[in-house]
Amino acid sequence: MIKLILKKLSITFIAISFTVISSVASAEITITWPSIWVGKDSKTTVIGELIDEFNAANAGSIKVVVEEQTDYDIYAQKLTAQIATGELPDIMTVGAQLLDVLHRSGKAMDLAPHINSDPHWNNVYPENALQSAMTDGVLSALPYELFVTPVTYNKKILKEAGYDEFPDNYDDFFKMCEAVTANGKVCTSQMTGKNGWTSMLWYSQALASAGGPDIYEKGLDHPAYVKAFEVMEKMYQYTTSDAIGADAGVSGGHFLNERTAVFMNGPWFIARYTSDGIPGLHENIGVAAAPMLMGGEGSPGGYVGGRQSSLAAGKQSDPAKEEAIVKFLKWLTIPENVARLSYSSGAMFIVNADLPNDMDRLFIEMKQGISDAPYVAPIFQNGIGSLAVASEFPQALSALALGDVTPEGAVEMLQDAE
Amino acid sequence: MKIKKDEVGWLLLFIAPTLILFTLFFILPILFLLASSFTNWDGIDAEFVGFENYIKLFNKKSFVRAITNNLYWCITAALITVPLGLIIALLLSHRSRGWKVFRTVLFVPQVVSSAAIAMLWAAVFNAEYGLLNYILDNIGLSDYKNHNWLGNVRTANAALIGFSLCYVGYFMVIMLAKTASISEDYYDAAKIDGASQIQKDFYITAPLIKSTFFLCIILAVIFNLRQFEYVYLMTAGGPANKTQVLVVYIWNELTVQRLGRGSAAGVIMIALGAMLLLLLRRILKSETYN
Repeated sequence: MIKLILKKLSITFIAISFTVISSVASAEITITWPSIWVGKDSKTTVIGELIDEFNAANAGSIKVVVEEQTDYDIYAQKLTAQIATGELPDIMTVGAQLLDVLHRSGKAMDLAPHINSDPHWNNVYPENALQSAMTDGVLSALPYELFVTPVTYNKKILKEAGYDEFPDNYDDFFKMCEAVTANGKVCTSQMTGKNGWTSMLWYSQALASAGGPDIYEKGLDHPAYVKAFEVMEKMYQYTTSDAIGADAGVSGGHFLNERTAVFMNGPWFIARYTSDGIPGLHENIGVAAAPMLMGGEGSPGGYVGGRQSSLAAGKQSDPAKEEAIVKFLKWLTIPENVARLSYSSGAMFIVNADLPNDMDRLFIEMKQGISDAPYVAPIFQNGIGSLAVASEFPQALSALALGDVTPEGAVEMLQDAE
Repeated sequence: MKIKKDEVGWLLLFIAPTLILFTLFFILPILFLLASSFTNWDGIDAEFVGFENYIKLFNKKSFVRAITNNLYWCITAALITVPLGLIIALLLSHRSRGWKVFRTVLFVPQVVSSAAIAMLWAAVFNAEYGLLNYILDNIGLSDYKNHNWLGNVRTANAALIGFSLCYVGYFMVIMLAKTASISEDYYDAAKIDGASQIQKDFYITAPLIKSTFFLCIILAVIFNLRQFEYVYLMTAGGPANKTQVLVVYIWNELTVQRLGRGSAAGVIMIALGAMLLLLLRRILKSETYN
């Protein structure tokens, strides 16, 4: 009889223990973050470390769980669908082209009250950086990553073609491409796959050079759009045979393997010159401002770039979860953590961070380029202000490169997409 | 068969679950699609715009190209893929040595992820390091050494549609299964009459699996009208929108937040599918369902 009672009591005790444990376990707040900073991305390692450290420091109360999103375009498309359905993830990285729609949806957490109640934010961000990111007093996303996209070139290949300096105008640039081609190498890395990223950056440079940094305010009728396509048409005569349809992996891969001499991408690619490039590549890379179009409205040394990824959060009904999310965002914006991210990846951030003195040479050169630049114009994808036009760009470019349309025809394709 | 009055209640009871699910997941979404196609819905705001989305779509070269390409896909499937499947099914129906191996090999693409296959073929067609160009170069066709099959307006569609022939195995298996149900008596009688193997195939097997062949054509047309993953993964509708198909077009509209116009394209696709099926039914008469 006693045995039976003891047995029943034991079972009851175990059941209660499980209930208590599970209720304690469920008290832990889980934050999901579909992150693009995974896989081959240069920020993967430090972001992983930061999450692990945050989870360890908040063990039992907050846990950040990453959902790996290895394709930037698919991620943006998924986010677009989530904004439309109102099912936003807890934390997300938002590209500049989605900021407007995210704000209009009203589904993002308004970070303004948190910014106003905690001095951390205004201490770590440059003056007015957060205020200028607000719309009608609402802060739907924290500006985080910045970028500029100067030209990176392989000094060794250029030297073999007889060039010690990178040309500062397109006439000389195409002469250089001729020399590189004659030497058995390919001049530029281009792509029309996905959003046509690398080529879109070149187009943005040529556009700002032809029409000035405020070109996007002048409308698609401005002749600069045609002139920039004329540059691209010529550029595709000096690129790899797989450029049409190629994605960023293919385009970047050619430069990393010294098959192409010139490449354009953001500072986040700096770490990959060492990690994924052929041995000695990093030492051979030079940084320069893009060439200028003669008679254009742009200024020599002008850069293109702007806000890259911003951090945003989905609106929460649970105040405790909202606090947990803000706590994690705060963790990501602590200057020491930002410095670690920047140091390991080469990426640039808007947060004021004391960067180590031994930052990558290319990073320092790019930073110097920005401070010397007369302007940093937006890239086409962000500046044009229309997702439809931006998404038609790769099709217009491939039509142009294949001789299917003239530069004027390519602009018409963009206008038609509006 | 006439339904008795007292059976109607039971009948409704039994079909109710299907009817409810069909209404919830098919009829209502189509009605929603139809309603949103008359708006400029961008995922956040929507205003009634009448037929503007439809007019804009039909004025867009890329949309008309998408419809044309879909029709190419359907015609290729109906005139090449399915007949090829029939020929292979007839050959394998002889149960010659190794027929099971061929059957399995031809069916393999059906069980492998379509994304993986698309990636594999994209690599095969690659201009710089693709296997196809390597083979062509090695057999003396050096003009194709760096040919960008998927990036050239003249070859992109052909490369995509040609690669879709890999899926011949699906239709082959359906028709092969049907051949197994044909009574051996027909073949014995034909043997006594001195019929050759080809005569048996053409005068006995082929007519007896005709209904399955027509069913395969209808299936092939439906599958190819919905074509998405291969085009999206291998060309994304490019170059210059030359390989655009309807579902990729709709997807692109949704990703640029023109959900209203995407809905209109969806309505057109449904209408096109219905018209094609009615046309096929008329052409093939009622053979499919007999």
